Amino acid sequence: MDILTQQLFNGLTIGSVYSLVALGLTLVYGILHIPNFAHGALYMLGAYITLTMMLLWGIHYWIAMAVSVLVVGLLGVLMDRLVFHPLRNAPPIHDKIAAIGMLLFLEAFAQLIWGADYRTMTTPYGQVINLFGTTATMQRVLINIGAIAVMILLYLFLKKTYIGSTIIAMAQNREGAHLVGINTNKVAMLTFMISGGLAAIAASLSAPINLVFPGMGHLVILKAFVIIILGGMGSIPGAILGGYILGFTESLGATYISNDYKDLIAFLLLVIILSIRPKGLFSREGF
Amino acid sequence: MLELSNVSVKYGSFAAVKDIDIEVEKGELVVLLGSNGAGKSTTFNAISGLQKPSAGDILFEGQSITGLSPDKIVQAGIVQCAEDRKLFPQMSVHQNLIMGAYVHRRKRKQVKESISEVYELFPILREKKENAAGSLSGGQQQMLAIGRALMSRPKMMLLDEPSIGLAPLIVEQMFEVIQKINKDGTTVLLAEQNAFAALKIADRGYVFESGSMVVQGSSEELLANDTVRRAYIGA
Repeated sequence: MDILTQQLFNGLTIGSVYSLVALGLTLVYGILHIPNFAHGALYMLGAYITLTMMLLWGIHYWIAMAVSVLVVGLLGVLMDRLVFHPLRNAPPIHDKIAAIGMLLFLEAFAQLIWGADYRTMTTPYGQVINLFGTTATMQRVLINIGAIAVMILLYLFLKKTYIGSTIIAMAQNREGAHLVGINTNKVAMLTFMISGGLAAIAASLSAPINLVFPGMGHLVILKAFVIIILGGMGSIPGAILGGYILGFTESLGATYISNDYKDLIAFLLLVIILSIRPKGLFSREGF
Repeated sequence: MLELSNVSVKYGSFAAVKDIDIEVEKGELVVLLGSNGAGKSTTFNAISGLQKPSAGDILFEGQSITGLSPDKIVQAGIVQCAEDRKLFPQMSVHQNLIMGAYVHRRKRKQVKESISEVYELFPILREKKENAAGSLSGGQQQMLAIGRALMSRPKMMLLDEPSIGLAPLIVEQMFEVIQKINKDGTTVLLAEQNAFAALKIADRGYVFESGSMVVQGSSEELLANDTVRRAYIGA
């Protein structure tokens, strides 16, 4: 029983990180229909920027994270302006090629600046606490609280503010958004900003329990794609729910089936869910 | 008020609209007649900024709006109510209307007034205000599309085939509403295949055939014109 609660808590923690990454991916997909493969690189840069700020200038964890969110968000905007916007009338395959190109470029860039070493991020919240009979580090608790708080804020922003509604409007009907006078270029930039910010938050929250290295985004972005495919491309509730489903399945699978195969479980889950519901769990209805 | 001179629009090498001239005066209700693929929607999209003309100039209130982005054109006072409505299907009726007032989003009081005006014009929308736009019937969706367009308080409204796919009784109501919108001071440019119904409420008309304008004149002239009668009225 102890193991079960411990693993459920782990699943929640991993799921929180996955959901944040998948949310950024699904937002961009929802409005521009671009599968942004470079999102994993944004995640990786988010961790490096936070780490660098903490190590070089001794800046506090939270402030370093805030700077990282800003920088990676702006990088997302830059990506839109310099790469995706000029390609808006090109065949869709060009966006995909460009996204992979950026992924490779940013990874090589990280390797050039920070080297290929695995680095650890120390957190000011390393103490172990007792939570409902299970033990956990404070950092893991923070990941959960932080991720859920960010998701609630994002939800309120999208549903309750006018500017947030423009993102939803554009996702539901791009030309309709044009016709009511929404400047879709600005909405696209805003969405890339949010998407990059979410990746930076996810990376900075989870870096202390993982390692920081140039390829750290690979597995995360692959799994984020699994999540948004099984949740329904472009669906926000799908990304959140899908993230947690994957988190729980992975941590339970690692304990009860095999730890070595835990990364395989995501893809097994994808095959099973798509066999039953080919359009994904939510298929755009919930956006 | 609106003046298109020698406007052409191309999709690749295919010219969807060739060298057309249209003039609409303030307060008029002008109809563009033509069958599917005659170039009516393309003309509308060129005016709305969704499609850039390959040649020619579009003037609105004396200013060139050729090649402006769609949001600038809505700000200038031209709104399009598209043929396939282009609603936000998972948003409620009420939210759709609120998004329609995007260019006036800071004037809360005005937005409220506009919404009650739209509900007065289409009482069924008030009943369905919490329903998702995608769940409405075809006629109700068309009403919502017109209502959403009105929310921007346009000087000029482009209505693309509002009668398409609707029951005859609803079509009649729709044309009454269009006439009312026009009488209340909005200039209307209407694209229609339903020539008889459209000419009954319009001041003037232009007839399109495969991308070119072939006949123009007052409604009476067009109703009496043999080509028009044969092609669109079936008499």
